[in-house]
Amino acid sequence: MGWFSKQDKVLERETLEKTLKRSNDFKKVSYINEPTNKQFSFWFISTLIDENILQENVLPYLLEKPFEKIEDVKKIIALADVQISNNPSEIEQKLFNGYALLTLESDSHHFVFLAAHKELVRSISPPEVEFSVIGPKEAFVESINQNVNLIRKRLPVKELIVQELIVGSLSKTKVSILYLEGIVDPANVKTVMERLKNIKFDAITDSSYIVQLISDNKNSPFPQLLDTERPDRVTAILAEGKIAIFVDGSPHALITPTTLVEFFSSFEDYFLNWMLSSFFRLIRLFAVAFSILVTPIYVAALSYHYELIPTDLMNTLVTSRRDIPLPPILEALFLELTIELLREAGARLPTKVGQTIGIVGGIVIGTASVEAGLTSNVLLIIVALAALASFTTPVYKMGNAIRLLRFPFLFFAELWGLLGIVLCFCFLMTHLLRLTSLNRPFLEPLYPPRITDLKDSLIRLPFSKQSLRPQTLRTKKPVRYPFNNKSDIDE
Amino acid sequence: MEPLIPEKAKISPFLVFFLVHTMQFGIGILGFQRLIALTAGYDAWISVIIAGLSIHVILWMMYRILDTVNGDIMSANSYVFGKKVGRLITLPYVLYFLCVALTTLRTFIEVVQVWMFQDMSTFWYAFAFCVLAIYIIFGGFRIVTGIAFFGVVLPSYLIFTFFFTFPYADLRNLLPVFDHSIKDLVKAAYQMSLTYLGYEVLLFFYPFIKDPQKSKKWAHFGVFFTTILYTAITIITFSYFSEGQLQKNIWATLTIWKVVEMPFVERFEYIGIANWNIVILPNLCIALWCGSRILKRAVHLKQKYGVLLLTTIVLITINFFKTREQINTLISYTGKISFFLNYVYIPLLFILVLIVKKVKK
Repeated sequence: MGWFSKQDKVLERETLEKTLKRSNDFKKVSYINEPTNKQFSFWFISTLIDENILQENVLPYLLEKPFEKIEDVKKIIALADVQISNNPSEIEQKLFNGYALLTLESDSHHFVFLAAHKELVRSISPPEVEFSVIGPKEAFVESINQNVNLIRKRLPVKELIVQELIVGSLSKTKVSILYLEGIVDPANVKTVMERLKNIKFDAITDSSYIVQLISDNKNSPFPQLLDTERPDRVTAILAEGKIAIFVDGSPHALITPTTLVEFFSSFEDYFLNWMLSSFFRLIRLFAVAFSILVTPIYVAALSYHYELIPTDLMNTLVTSRRDIPLPPILEALFLELTIELLREAGARLPTKVGQTIGIVGGIVIGTASVEAGLTSNVLLIIVALAALASFTTPVYKMGNAIRLLRFPFLFFAELWGLLGIVLCFCFLMTHLLRLTSLNRPFLEPLYPPRITDLKDSLIRLPFSKQSLRPQTLRTKKPVRYPFNNKSDIDE
Repeated sequence: MEPLIPEKAKISPFLVFFLVHTMQFGIGILGFQRLIALTAGYDAWISVIIAGLSIHVILWMMYRILDTVNGDIMSANSYVFGKKVGRLITLPYVLYFLCVALTTLRTFIEVVQVWMFQDMSTFWYAFAFCVLAIYIIFGGFRIVTGIAFFGVVLPSYLIFTFFFTFPYADLRNLLPVFDHSIKDLVKAAYQMSLTYLGYEVLLFFYPFIKDPQKSKKWAHFGVFFTTILYTAITIITFSYFSEGQLQKNIWATLTIWKVVEMPFVERFEYIGIANWNIVILPNLCIALWCGSRILKRAVHLKQKYGVLLLTTIVLITINFFKTREQINTLISYTGKISFFLNYVYIPLLFILVLIVKKVKK
């Protein structure tokens, strides 16, 4: 039996070699050891490995120093990661992960894997999507090792656990989850691991794929995992007791579980005084409400509820709409679509052309359509402001979801006026109530109402009030740092 | 043989406050003042308080019943009358909740048709509302409670709009106090109890409360809060309108909103009515939830199908109520059933449960 299986293994290796040889970047080179005259050969994928490593740390020793058996190789070459194996089914995986294979002609059953990865790394650049004026200027890059390094540097404790797994039947993407043991709720880690393991997908090219594959509700426009490119933000949420997911090849880490209000907090909020950051957060929430509701309210008021508007304001509106041939809803849709077109064109075009489009669209189309009598200038102001407001959302994906929401609201406003807007709002509220992130309610701390968690939600209280971790995370250590003893006057 | 309710479907005790309060506070508030003033004149605010206080007694009885059987009303009925009869006796509640759902929806649509859109289609608006209700109830009881929570919190800013009446209010309208007989006061309190209805939903969601003992104070607080709000609105209305004026206003609260004036809003009642959507929504959802819950408990119909069945019935029957008289008849019948269930059946059941408990010991 033993003989047969050995024979099979040699066969397996030979068929593999045949397939590999069809790729031109596969190399098989043979050499002869000078002292013992033994022949040995390397197999490697030249595009994946750093040939310098072979030339400097491996080849000179193998050519000059004597060795007899395959075990001797380990002793003579200057390389840390050297693995001896007799299992040919490992070869494919190792070769494509940047290992070189070393075989001796005298021993056809054993072979050695030599680590010689070529890391093509982009240098760390400042964050572009989540830019902040103050604070660290490092952003994640595409290499998972470098990203984890950025976190490890910031959290140099043994409790920081990194768990790796491979996802994707073709892409074999490396996915790591990071958490702080002793703080995180183990049930959360288990859920994340299970969901990642259950992913059935062939090529995972970015963390956005993972978001869509492991979300609780896949039919929702709202992202249920927060993605960030800031290592400082990831560090902060790990300390809070959340879990970060890194995907190789993606410069965005994922944070889970999240809540809705987190999507409206920019990380810069934590660099500013609590009063300023609370003010900015409220401004942002106002901007969201404004950008969703203002055009529908315009349509509702001008289609149905003229009485709602005071006489003085009505005069202005009527004057601006006097020559407009379109009903308010068409006027609004026309302008909203124009803005969306401009945004989409700006996003798809190279930066320089994009700027031109912005100017052409913003000034020329806007002014021209008012002068041509297609839209009223009041609505032009409203729509432009609403578009501006929608860009204040710090998380890009959430901003997109909010921009989409305007259209159902417009539809309901046209249908039933203000009643329709409120009805649509109720639909939205129900949807948000039903959403969960990692089985935790998405609207927390608004519902279920948790007063202690409000300290870092719509507003951000000072750090002295932030000594407790969020209740919703059910962390093992609910206290982050000791409370300040409240002392009385003159004590 | 109580069906186990999973822990994750249960709600925190303090949310009972919102469930009880939101169910009591619905469409009635828009126009209850005229009716009670018709009976007890401007002493009617005393009736509002009396009726409010009487609820605390009923609520106390309900909790005693539910504590004893440690389940919902169906368990209580089975406890007293045996399983089969118990089921049979609980079934009429389905009809009652159908009436509640129908009344809430139809009255609200009537308000909209009178004040905002005269030619709005009853059916299509009811349809959109029911789809929303189904979407909510399919999320489970926690979501229904969430809607109740937001149904109280979000429109709460409307309380401030009543401050606009203060410059025109005259509290001397209430004087002289006690110029009506006790009989009139009690009669007005009876009428008022119809406006207060809704707290009986406690009988159905009791098993869904995480720590029922702790919820008692919140339920009482919910009723107390409703009483205060109603009393305050009654007094504001009475001091704003003269008695003769009030009789001409079916929806007195909406008329009050007419005085609200802001630089960018002229007719505030439009915003008020639109916001009332959010107030009405939990009423409809909780009623449909309770109805379908009984169907599940009594005839083992899956709650999903129960909800769909009930909303279909509501959507079909709502078309039959077209005139003011028909709607009024519907409201008064629903009120009478509710009065019977709360003030006759519950005390009766309370005594029976106590007797059976003694006998079983």
